[in-house]
Amino acid sequence: MRKIHPPDELARDGRFARITTEQRFGDPRGGGTAGRVGTRLTPERPEAPDAARALMHGIFVGEIQALEGAGRTCWDFETGEGADQAPFALKLDMARQCWDEARHCEISVKLSEHMGTEIGEFSESTFLYEAACNPDPVLRLTGVNRALEGLAIDVFNTMREFGDRSGDPVLYFCEDWMLADEVTHVKMGSDWLRKLTANDLERRERALEFQRVVDKLFSFGGLRGEDEESPIRLARRFRELAGFTTEEIDEISGISAEAAREETQRRAAASA
Amino acid sequence: MAAVEVSPREFTFVFYDAAVIEEIAARLLEDIGLDRHVRIEIDETTPLGRVQVISLEPLVVSVQGGAFEDTRRPRQLGADRVSDSLGRVLMRARDRLDPAFGDPPPDDELSLAQSVAWDAYGVGRLAGLGYPAQRQRRLYHFRNRHGFTDAADRVFDRLWNGDGLTWADIEAACAETEESRTPVG
Repeated sequence: MRKIHPPDELARDGRFARITTEQRFGDPRGGGTAGRVGTRLTPERPEAPDAARALMHGIFVGEIQALEGAGRTCWDFETGEGADQAPFALKLDMARQCWDEARHCEISVKLSEHMGTEIGEFSESTFLYEAACNPDPVLRLTGVNRALEGLAIDVFNTMREFGDRSGDPVLYFCEDWMLADEVTHVKMGSDWLRKLTANDLERRERALEFQRVVDKLFSFGGLRGEDEESPIRLARRFRELAGFTTEEIDEISGISAEAAREETQRRAAASA
Repeated sequence: MAAVEVSPREFTFVFYDAAVIEEIAARLLEDIGLDRHVRIEIDETTPLGRVQVISLEPLVVSVQGGAFEDTRRPRQLGADRVSDSLGRVLMRARDRLDPAFGDPPPDDELSLAQSVAWDAYGVGRLAGLGYPAQRQRRLYHFRNRHGFTDAADRVFDRLWNGDGLTWADIEAACAETEESRTPVG
């Protein structure tokens, strides 16, 4: 079985429709944000149930890719303590994460049915799995577990709040449970980053830089932020529980704000 | 024969075909029984999906471009999305033009609960005409506005399967779900 399985060869049945990252970010109506900056997910918005359905489908395909990524990390690296190897305990953590993600896939399918969404009703982009193809296990865990699973914390918390405010006990309960797992996954990333780079600060800096790139790309031009109107709110408390320092959370907030400013400038230039 | 006019004729942000939209709209008008000229104004610069009737006489529908977009293929036209989005508001326009339906407030004065209840009645009739209607999606919308309760589900069924209802029936449905959400004691 080959190492580093390419994203375009991920197995899906005919219900799924794949789009490329270029298609996603090349949309002239708003790039990755698709014009949704300032549209907070709140029950008061007439379109909120449909926005929640689309977000839930995005979570569902993200769970599939997180399962695939964690599974690949168990396989892609030889077991050991070397720079191009992964310790057995790290693989054990990834195996546990596979178990969680498989359960999240099942929960997401049930939630989608509850919300009236069919599998494959919305397109799938493979950005999460692409970050899980990094040949350095530390960068892989930093990009996926800290950046993208960190984003998942923000998304799950946003959906949990939506379920609470709209009085949907099913959505609230499911998101709350999945959120708890995501905190654990991010904590794994934080712990392994510090452990594996304790004597290699240059490698740690490369990993953190990779995280910054992923964080900025997936701030979706300001879709995530700390502003009241942000569609996805940065979940500070849960990020603290996941091993982020206040300075690190401030940095992600700054990256999101910068992405929002750039998106505003881009839209202004496009409409000029 | 009802006529349909789509604006703009050419799209630059999305890959829509005005003629296809006109064809779907004309079929909807015929099936719904709305013998009117309709103008459909599309804002293709946004992926958001709001659709509103902004004038009854003449009949003008304002559409945010995302409402007609294929959710599986960004920027491409989705025929089912066109019939779903347009059918919902055209059914509402038909009700407004029917004196027997009653006198509902203007759209911008409707509560979300009233709006969604009316949509359940309208889209349910579209389903009866054979259009793809996503019943569970509409039930989810309804529950968000009327409560995740058995009582709300029963009211939804009544609206979805209803025929010949009036604005008073829609208001009564809203009152019924509201009552079921009020704590006892």
